Amino acid sequence: MSFDRLTLLITFVALALFILVLEMVRRRALAERYSLWWLIISGGVVVLALARPLLDNLIFTQLGISYPPSALFSAGFVGLVIIMLYMSHLITLLTRQNRTAAQRIGLLQHELDLLRDDLAKLKNE
Amino acid sequence: MPQPYQLPDNTRLLVVIPALNEEESLTRVIGNVNHAVPGADILVINDGSTDNTAKVGKAAGAMVVTLPYNLGIGAAMQTGFIYAHEHGYDFMVQVDGDGQHNPDEICELIPHLVSGNADVVIGSRYIEDRGYITPAPRRAGIIILAKYISLLTRKPYTDPTSGFRASNRKAIAMCSRIYPSDYPEPEALMQFHKANVKVKEIPVTMNPRYGGQSSITPIRSAYYMIKVMLAIAILTIRRRPKVFS
Repeated sequence: MSFDRLTLLITFVALALFILVLEMVRRRALAERYSLWWLIISGGVVVLALARPLLDNLIFTQLGISYPPSALFSAGFVGLVIIMLYMSHLITLLTRQNRTAAQRIGLLQHELDLLRDDLAKLKNE
Repeated sequence: MPQPYQLPDNTRLLVVIPALNEEESLTRVIGNVNHAVPGADILVINDGSTDNTAKVGKAAGAMVVTLPYNLGIGAAMQTGFIYAHEHGYDFMVQVDGDGQHNPDEICELIPHLVSGNADVVIGSRYIEDRGYITPAPRRAGIIILAKYISLLTRKPYTDPTSGFRASNRKAIAMCSRIYPSDYPEPEALMQFHKANVKVKEIPVTMNPRYGGQSSITPIRSAYYMIKVMLAIAILTIRRRPKVFS
């Protein structure tokens, strides 16, 4: 079984990414739930690249892609799109939660100021 | 000066003034509101101002809620709605901090809520020509928005961007839960329509700003129009919000 240089390069980069993501999770620089998609994509690319001799024929006959590495890029691209959409979704949620929290801080600070004033008046009496 | 407006017995009115760096005009606005509706509570939402807006507001006798950083007019207004809802106010009026709205006309908004004719009353600059001059490009934008919203809601609107509005409990409850962000006024109209909140426009007179800077620059206007029209279009296909009573 022999691999061409491109396949080896892709495998190497994807493997490096996989290890980097694992290391970031280990150091708590990345939460497990956000690392999942990155692991699936980088791991998937490694598996696809290594399994290429078995897949070449399938990709060519079933998908009509004459240059097999572009099938690999397509798979990676779809994964990235999913990750980015997921990130936008998370930003939307966080923005909303952040807004609600900021509003509450403002309202509570106001109540606190009023209570402090009342307390000061009571102490003076 | 017109006569101060006496609220009906046992009704509580909150006047909310969203303010971003309005120290120059705030004292005058609060003074005018106090004179126009002596029985109302006044709440300034200080939306992350970098000047003395909070201090000036308190000195003028208003309550001031200071947001920890600038959240935008929509979120600032919603803070007012949350306050009104949680403190059980019957009515809430929003008045801009820059002096464009005429607090004496609060007395023209409120009776429509008292009589139950409407859940939200909007002061429109364009029902009658009362000499308010709008720059032509902005006027064109407002007309497009008005026609667009009128078409989608099948109700006539003339001034969808007017921020001079009064709301009753039903509208306050809804807006405290869901309120659009950025420039919220036109989107809120669509939201009212979806929630069966009755909206009424009445003619008012608006002034030029006392001081400070308008938040709408020519560069942002195009982006604003597109964003608002998209948001409104999406609202028409969004699930209908529950009506809170």
